[in-house]
Amino acid sequence: MEFIDYYKTLELERSATKTDVKKAYRRLARKYHPDLNPDDDSAKKRFQQINEANEVLSDPEKRKKYDEYGKDWQHAEHFEQQKQQQRSYASGGFGGGQRQSYSGSFDDDNFSDFFEQMFGGGARSHGTGRSPQFKGQDFNAELQLNLSDVYTSHKQTLTVNGKNIRLTIPAGVENGQTIKISGHGGPGVQGGPKGDLLITFKIVNNTKFKREKENLYSSVDLDFYTALLGGEVTVDTFNGKVKLTIKPETQNGTRVKLKGKGFPKYKKEGQFGDLFITYNIKIPTNLSSKEKELYTELQKLRT
Amino acid sequence: MNLDQLIATEELCERYSVAHTFIRSLNNSGLLEVITVEKREYVHCDKMADFEKMLRLHFDLDINLEGLEAIKHLLDKLSDLKEENLALRNRLGLYE
Repeated sequence: MEFIDYYKTLELERSATKTDVKKAYRRLARKYHPDLNPDDDSAKKRFQQINEANEVLSDPEKRKKYDEYGKDWQHAEHFEQQKQQQRSYASGGFGGGQRQSYSGSFDDDNFSDFFEQMFGGGARSHGTGRSPQFKGQDFNAELQLNLSDVYTSHKQTLTVNGKNIRLTIPAGVENGQTIKISGHGGPGVQGGPKGDLLITFKIVNNTKFKREKENLYSSVDLDFYTALLGGEVTVDTFNGKVKLTIKPETQNGTRVKLKGKGFPKYKKEGQFGDLFITYNIKIPTNLSSKEKELYTELQKLRT
Repeated sequence: MNLDQLIATEELCERYSVAHTFIRSLNNSGLLEVITVEKREYVHCDKMADFEKMLRLHFDLDINLEGLEAIKHLLDKLSDLKEENLALRNRLGLYE
């Protein structure tokens, strides 16, 4: 566990006054506040550090203790005990300071081990009371699924904060999409509504198809003669195989659309996107002398 | 309209120790949707997160109403850009 320089965190000199601390806290809080930096973990972490520094430096007793022991914080408890023995009265503790900092519905109370060690777990003061919680806390979760899993709607049981939640994952959900399960977050305070559960999906493509929304893309190798003279080829779709007719003189890179053979449209039951197949024409290799001869003949016919 | 999902503005004023004028100002600025049912004003529980966010920014960071409007506009824009970025990233998979 390392010493934390709270003055450095708030970008202050050690001689900073209470007003300076307040100003610095406000300035940095406006910069790193999680409400102003949504989904930014580094800003959230920085904000937690700022909050912790403010918790200590804005409270005269905590600041005094912090300044007194500084880098010798590990021995602070020992020194405190010695002091107490010398005194005939008990010390005042560290929990009574007026906290100027913010208390939101997100998890801003992850104070460092350094803080816990120096001031104890009960030393935090919670909120100024201006923005109490009423609605329960929203829970965020990430769910990783394979692309093949989301081709059909399916039920899944998730464990969130020790509670099992059975939910239906609609077919066609997209990578990065977040769905809200109302009322499955934290409990409301004093009759307030429950928070929500927000699930963000991470879809891993475990197939040979590429996907963009409800459309699928794949490429199929086509032999030279079928491309040239036409024929039939069997191709894979997401849920089976289909036979395609190849027109004579099909060019390399030709793309065909298989209507309705794509991915399910999100929350539109029975509706599907399209499957686009690109033909990769494979030119024969390792030609025999006879083949070379015949191709040369053909070439002459063209020139 | 399901009344179970609506929270009366008087209750919000009491729970959050805010004046009704604050909620009205948020509503007038388009920052909070207030629904009137039989002459009583409510906020939908889905809008509570937005409401709490405005409260925190206003009371904890001293941001005035004009500032809240500007922040809301920029956060909405940020959210749109994030969605666009995600869609483009997903699309990029086609070319990888």
